[in-house]
Amino acid sequence: MPASEPQILALGGGGFSMERENPMLDDYVLALASRERPRVCFLPTASGDADHYVVRFYRRFSATCAASHVSLFRRDQGTGGVEENIAQHLLAQDVIYVGGGNVVSMLGAWRAHGLDVVLQRAWARGIVLCGPSAGSLCWFAEALSAFHGSGRRVRGLGLLPYSNCVHYDAEPQRREQYRRLVGEGMRPGFAAEDGVGLHFRGTRLQRAVSSRPGARAYRVESGGDGTACETPLEVHYLGESGSVGDDLGVEDDLGVGDGQSVRDGQSVGDGAGVGAERSLSAGGPVSAAAEHSGMRQTATRAAA
Amino acid sequence: MSLAAEVPPERRTIFAMGGGGFTMEPANPLLDDYVLSLARSPRPRLLFLPTASGDTTGQINAFYARFAGRPCEAQHLSLFRLAELRRPLAETVLDQDVVYAGGGSLRNLLALWRAHGLDELLVRAWRHGTVLAGLSAGAMCWFQGGVTRSDGAPAPLAGLGLLRGSLTVHADGEPERLPVWLAAVRAGELPGGWALDDGVGLLFRGERLARVVSSRPGAGGQRVDAIAGELVRRRLEPELLGAAATPAPLDDDVQELRRVQRLRARAPRRL
Repeated sequence: MPASEPQILALGGGGFSMERENPMLDDYVLALASRERPRVCFLPTASGDADHYVVRFYRRFSATCAASHVSLFRRDQGTGGVEENIAQHLLAQDVIYVGGGNVVSMLGAWRAHGLDVVLQRAWARGIVLCGPSAGSLCWFAEALSAFHGSGRRVRGLGLLPYSNCVHYDAEPQRREQYRRLVGEGMRPGFAAEDGVGLHFRGTRLQRAVSSRPGARAYRVESGGDGTACETPLEVHYLGESGSVGDDLGVEDDLGVGDGQSVRDGQSVGDGAGVGAERSLSAGGPVSAAAEHSGMRQTATRAAA
Repeated sequence: MSLAAEVPPERRTIFAMGGGGFTMEPANPLLDDYVLSLARSPRPRLLFLPTASGDTTGQINAFYARFAGRPCEAQHLSLFRLAELRRPLAETVLDQDVVYAGGGSLRNLLALWRAHGLDELLVRAWRHGTVLAGLSAGAMCWFQGGVTRSDGAPAPLAGLGLLRGSLTVHADGEPERLPVWLAAVRAGELPGGWALDDGVGLLFRGERLARVVSSRPGAGGQRVDAIAGELVRRRLEPELLGAAATPAPLDDDVQELRRVQRLRARAPRRL
């Protein structure tokens, strides 16, 4: 059992699902585990346990880690996920990596399976918790879950007594809504752009790190008159000094693993209007795949 | 939003299938056509909820494959990809003639619906005349309880309770479910109710069971109640839909999956 203080790395966006060619944030998480071959368990709940997301996780971590995943949707179908005693398995990890997707759906499913309590215990034991997007929002007391302008205030697990906003650069509406909510009385908190990780020890922000030069994060609090006040945080770039962000890995194929691809916002090979991905601005910075980083499924079964 | 007036209780409609429909019977449209025939409109707005599966692309594609060429306006709703929605959630749900819930994990279906307030919207829609349909988890959810395999081994679980009684599904296809349900009914953990084979559907008008239909000859079901600690079982005799049609066997994949599941269920690690 890791005997250290609680740690969380909350990503505004980034990591293996969004930055295929850029390992910096994931490497940073693994380093926190302080073990040569850390045990890393993936929770893809927020994506509905999307198969291709699970595949991508193993592709990234199985060479250097003891990698596993827990699926809450296909526990009777032998998909290779942990099935027996999930709590015990999670509490034996060095890192629990939570994938992106819909944070409200994820929290609902976690609570139904008692994982909220398990994750709190894992955190208290010093198991490193991390994740992008929904995998960041969930650790905070309050968060903004935003979809195409319809922002929603969400109660998270509350391990960190702040509010949180992700994809702060990629989705201007989020920033607007978060500032408004904080101005209206949502508790103060932290906003992170894609590529930024907020590293907490206990409930204190230890440092902000990034996989992209120039990526920013902010402390956001009420300005006192219904407005919000942003204070930029010092963000430590994890790459070598002077390197340019050529390798930032713009995702043009979020449907990895199931032969479907998305280019320039067009859903390809998918005639049924199930294109989940958001428009990716061609050539721009990594456009956040929202809280749902390219969720697609391949399984089709109706087993209650 | 064009929300119709509340309909009288006896016109509130639920169609609950033990299995079948587009995800399980790709070659047999009888149950799905029956679902459409229940709608108040000749060209109904039909919303598919794949929640219980985790919104798998496979289920969603199968839905459109079935309904795209039929007289309806088909749409799906993913609670994992709400960004796809063109209108707010409430507006989308309350504007339907039929809501069709897919199979998967009953526990997750209920948790997700509740997390998004969809359970209350569906009750409202039902009271306003929207037909609620579904199979498996998407059928048991409307009752007071069912038997879920959300955690691997079959276990009783409470549902939304729009219909009195409990339901268990796949009585023929997944036989390990039935004894768990019977034991729960006998012990009073679940109220009495219905056990349905794949291909069998119950039509409720209000709380009243109005019709029992089936897409396959030989498929059946039973009504079971616990009376003074004893189980009283009555066989159901479904009407075969489209009597002229030839029966379609279960999809090969489904059969194989079930063989695997049965083997797994027999493995010693199970309780």
